[in-house]
Amino acid sequence: MEVSHSIKERTIAENSLVILLQGLCGHVTTVDLRDESTATGRVTSVDAFMNVRLAEVTFTDRQGTVSRLDELFVTGRNVRYVHIPDEVDIRATIERQLQAIHRVRYFGGRDKGRKEFPRAKHK
Amino acid sequence: GGAMSFLKRFPPPAEGVRHQQPETEAVLAGRTLGAGTLYIAESRLSWLENSGVGFSLDYPTISLHAVSRDLSAYPWEHLYVMVNARVGEEETKEAPVAEGEEEEDSDDDVEPIAEFRFVPSDKSALEAMFSAMCECQALHPDPDDEDSDNDYEGEEYDVEAHELEQGDIPTFYTYEEGLSHLTAEGQATLERLEGMLAQSVSSQYNMAGVRTEDSIREFEDGMEVDVAPPVVAGQFEDAEVDH
Repeated sequence: MEVSHSIKERTIAENSLVILLQGLCGHVTTVDLRDESTATGRVTSVDAFMNVRLAEVTFTDRQGTVSRLDELFVTGRNVRYVHIPDEVDIRATIERQLQAIHRVRYFGGRDKGRKEFPRAKHK
Repeated sequence: GGAMSFLKRFPPPAEGVRHQQPETEAVLAGRTLGAGTLYIAESRLSWLENSGVGFSLDYPTISLHAVSRDLSAYPWEHLYVMVNARVGEEETKEAPVAEGEEEEDSDDDVEPIAEFRFVPSDKSALEAMFSAMCECQALHPDPDDEDSDNDYEGEEYDVEAHELEQGDIPTFYTYEEGLSHLTAEGQATLERLEGMLAQSVSSQYNMAGVRTEDSIREFEDGMEVDVAPPVVAGQFEDAEVDH
């Protein structure tokens, strides 16, 4: 599971739904771009700024021309929608990503006792 | 003149060049600009023809880039770069948005785009070129991002730094790097903590239930550990002892 090495990016991800997109790594999904082209491929990575990297892409440009791209990087600014695949359990994905972030944040093997993490009190 | 007038003479970038690819043809909107060198630098993407003229693209204007090996779409394997701007007809290095409004096209309100293809003679370099561009692109997040509330100044950053007991750290570390950046005191603290954790496992120090005034400390992970002297007074003052 990929977690950003940047504290700022982890904080941004933790506080937005980008964290869900980051959990899509390895899944095939379709990204609708701002200019109405679409890209369907396997998610390699999504960063906190919603820059999306896809592999084995079928790209349909805004005129409808289809081509294949080995790898594609779309800037967050140009992403309109990211389709969440049906097989993805959204809630579980978010929780898994949050746990990954907390494991990195509290390195030193302290996540065993992390069930009592302060935020849990609000449950 | 004409479409090639946006080519200028300038020195190749000297700093922050993540990747440089010679013998690379540049193609704009299907028309070749010649053979030259592509410079993927942190500040901008530049291409210089062997004669010394070329152009630069700013990362904020680049909407996407890709590796294309689909020969039915284009006959040579290349790095595809789509730019959010009209290039070549009129010289513009900024996205239309920066000029105040989107420019209207004859095709209704379609955003102008410019399609570049960089065709290296060495096809095996495409992966490295692609990755270098991804890295550089990530250095230029969208400043006009109104949709997200990414105003994370101060507190949120400090939460992590504070919990790592490193205070206001000026740079970001991976946790392996972070270990090597500990001050001497931090290193000593870490060794002491690790030593205490190791000791707490051995039976001779298993004194659960026995408390002395200043010896037992509780750590965040709930382990009670006997603190063997010497203990620096107040060393855990700023640790979270929340359970």
